[in-house]
Amino acid sequence: MVDEEDPKEYRWETGYEKTWEAIKEDDEGFLEASVADIVQRAKRKRQAQKQPNTKLGMMRHLYIIIDCSDSMSNQDLKPTRLLCTIKLLELFIEEFFDQNPISQMGAIIMQNKRAERISELAGNARKHIKAINNLNRTSLNGEPSLQNGLNMALKSLKLLPTHASREILIVMGSLTTCDPGDINITIDMLKAEGVRCSIIGLAAEVHICRQLAVETGGTYNVILDDSHYKDLLFQHIEPPPAAVCLESSLIKMGFPHQMVVEGTEEPLTMCMCHVDSTDEGSKLTTGGYYCPQCCSKYCELPVECRVCGLTLVSAPHLARSYHHLFPAANYKEIDYDSRATICYACQKAFGDTDKNIYRCPNCEKIFCIDCDIFIHETLHTCPGCATNLSLFQNHNSE
Amino acid sequence: MTTSSEEILLQVPHVRYKKGDGTLYLMDQRIAWMMENRDTVSISHLYSDIKTQKISPEGKAKVQLQVVLHNGVSSTFHFINRGGLQEQAADRDRVKELLQTLLPKFKRKIDKELEEKNRLLSSNPALLQLYKDLVMSEVVSSEEFWAQHASQYTQAQKTQTQDIGVSGAFLADIKPQTDGCNGLKYNITADIIESIFKTYPAVKKKYLEHVPAKMSEAQFWTKFFQSHYFHRDRKYAESKDLFTECGKIDDQEMKKDIQTGINDPLLDITAFEDKSIDECYGAQAEKPTGTIGTVSQAMIKRFNQHSIMVLKASKNKQPEQPQQNGADPNTNSSKTQENNSTNSISNNSSNNEETHVNKKQRIQEKITYNDLESSNENQNSSRSQLSLSKVERYLHGPMPGASIEHLLPNEAATVNRGVLLECRQWQGGRQLSNNLVSPAASVGALGELSPGGALMRGFQEQSLAQLVPSDIEKDVRNLYLSLCELLNHFWKCFPPTTPALEQKAIKMHEALHKFQGAKLKPFEDKLIRELSPLSHHLTKHLNQLLNAAYQKFNTWQKMKTHHR
Repeated sequence: MVDEEDPKEYRWETGYEKTWEAIKEDDEGFLEASVADIVQRAKRKRQAQKQPNTKLGMMRHLYIIIDCSDSMSNQDLKPTRLLCTIKLLELFIEEFFDQNPISQMGAIIMQNKRAERISELAGNARKHIKAINNLNRTSLNGEPSLQNGLNMALKSLKLLPTHASREILIVMGSLTTCDPGDINITIDMLKAEGVRCSIIGLAAEVHICRQLAVETGGTYNVILDDSHYKDLLFQHIEPPPAAVCLESSLIKMGFPHQMVVEGTEEPLTMCMCHVDSTDEGSKLTTGGYYCPQCCSKYCELPVECRVCGLTLVSAPHLARSYHHLFPAANYKEIDYDSRATICYACQKAFGDTDKNIYRCPNCEKIFCIDCDIFIHETLHTCPGCATNLSLFQNHNSE
Repeated sequence: MTTSSEEILLQVPHVRYKKGDGTLYLMDQRIAWMMENRDTVSISHLYSDIKTQKISPEGKAKVQLQVVLHNGVSSTFHFINRGGLQEQAADRDRVKELLQTLLPKFKRKIDKELEEKNRLLSSNPALLQLYKDLVMSEVVSSEEFWAQHASQYTQAQKTQTQDIGVSGAFLADIKPQTDGCNGLKYNITADIIESIFKTYPAVKKKYLEHVPAKMSEAQFWTKFFQSHYFHRDRKYAESKDLFTECGKIDDQEMKKDIQTGINDPLLDITAFEDKSIDECYGAQAEKPTGTIGTVSQAMIKRFNQHSIMVLKASKNKQPEQPQQNGADPNTNSSKTQENNSTNSISNNSSNNEETHVNKKQRIQEKITYNDLESSNENQNSSRSQLSLSKVERYLHGPMPGASIEHLLPNEAATVNRGVLLECRQWQGGRQLSNNLVSPAASVGALGELSPGGALMRGFQEQSLAQLVPSDIEKDVRNLYLSLCELLNHFWKCFPPTTPALEQKAIKMHEALHKFQGAKLKPFEDKLIRELSPLSHHLTKHLNQLLNAAYQKFNTWQKMKTHHR
């Protein structure tokens, strides 16, 4: 009986990846290449699973909760877990505001059984990066308290209007959490308020984190190494599918313009964004963006007007959201059978090293793997479809 | 003069005040001085108004006493007893001593709030500036200022202190340090004390009884660490320690817990025992022999006790209740009671149903593994679809009514030919010429494109900005700051949905007018006097801000009158 079934797999094994077989050491005994390969394949699988016509929550309000307890001084990520986290978070914040210009972010740390807010919910990347950099100097002690951190984030997320998507991203390095009460109550409250919690674990999988992520509809992953860590962090840059309780409503926005009156010179004005900052106060300048409702000036967009509360954006900021709503079609992976000689996008000649080449389902042009990644991650437009007028306009209406 | 009900505590003649001689009277509510041969009191100060008293130093020829009031006014009394310096000093000392005893009774309790406000103002320069600009120039009244504009600062004081959990190793983390001569030093922080109280409520009771009545805090903790209760041995039957009772109470709690058992049918505690796989693969439950060290048994008992108490400490906390629902606290607390319930054999039917559902769920959880199921099922159902009509509208901008020109194929061919013809002509007809443009025109263009020219407007203004002296710039910044604050409150009132908001809008409108009159106009005048070329520029924007606000207010008023 055992011999019969040996050649084929057992029925319950079908569709179950034997991930332990995929890990192979290379000549020098390093596992990095296999890990990178696994990460790459997971990325492509995720890409393929994304469906084009879903509602996305694009006005995102994200709280990052960082664990600053004893376990973050562990040196398994060089130089220490905390320093690695700080580095990656800086990159994350910049990229986040690049891809989600109308979103806001805040930061909280968990330390010594307490939670502390280090940065309020705001749309200014520089402020947050500065706050995160200051973490370089905090001493790490005590145990984290997941409940206190979640409660603190929930306190401000509760007050937001319902059309905003509420998210929490937790970076958890410790395997324990020391809470003052029952954390299940907190999880229920989060679920009731529609807050989506995702966790990135740095050590191992912890049951309560898995439960938190599953109940609130977020994701929970544990990192393998630092490049995997970066990949997991950057997964949260794309807007998640909208929560079911997200209502649609009309949002008032202002589109500022330069105030030029013909014939007169431009007046010297001060901006409202720096008017009360102690280190660099506002200066008298001529350029800037004027709020259409109250005429106060700002140096940068997007910003929320301090005086009248209007959200000020420029049209390209909103247009950036199109990348998420109308993504480029996923390319099909086909074997390289000398089907094409050069990649349509970068004109590179295909050689023996390219095992797979990629074809766009709409314009049928062939691309190499690097262009595939670049097009889907950064460019968001297929060059084949864009250069073919008839296709470009029709493909989105299908 | 004095009312008959006032009794005179001390009367000192021969006291000079401001060139007049008279008598100093100390009554029970106030101090008063009356000129010689007069009937009415010239000066009188209530004790509650007096801040301090001062006396002239010894050895001075003039023996004086000064009384300083809260509002800064001071009165000096000169003692001129004919009997000489000694008597004068004696007089003054009598007055001084009496005042010293009387003043503390009447000392006005310095408004704690006032102190708080002063502290806030001194620690926040931005707030101080706002205060100066708005309240001192009477644009906004002081109460309004503290209620509205400074509210975020006062709120910051009231951040709730967070509750912290009890860490399992909190007692072990108190590492004692030897202090060199056979002693041990334990450093305990407020956190550790709180954890001890939460875990061992008996100790908390003892603490409340003994401190500070019977012993100081340091003594209490010293006894705590010395007692056997804390240490391993725990043979407390003999010693008559403060904490023997606590040990007995703990034991009783444990016994109660063991008796109630665990309500969960799916959990089998006996399965937790260590089973070793013996030879021949037979599992043999080890029976603990009676003589296996009682010390280790006692230690295991202590460990278990500690763990049970730590877990209980987190469950006993009242669950957080949302303020809106009054019904919630009751249901929450009753639920936790049921979970900890002791001998509730009599369950009502709803309880039974709940336990059934829970049992089913838990059995289901034990027989399924999430990894093996395909994960796609869950995700697809929860995504909501985006329904877009007329997708092309998202891809092009709005086209103002002009229809797309459709070129007929013939026309397209004609145009094509024309363009090709033109291109060929260009290639053929290139002449080499030295003058493409006349020199005058090119010099003119260069001039316009260099900084300061007609086409490079921006630079002129930048250099103008550098001409502004820094103190004027600071003044402008402060004006912007206060105007920002006022306008913020003004715009918050729109749209005015409630009568309160309407009132506030009207008040803020007045405040804006006042601001313009009190701060902006004088600044503009000052500028005209000092820096005439710039005066217009610097305040133009501020006026624009104000005008935008006035316009909004006026349109609102018009709409209101229209509706009536």
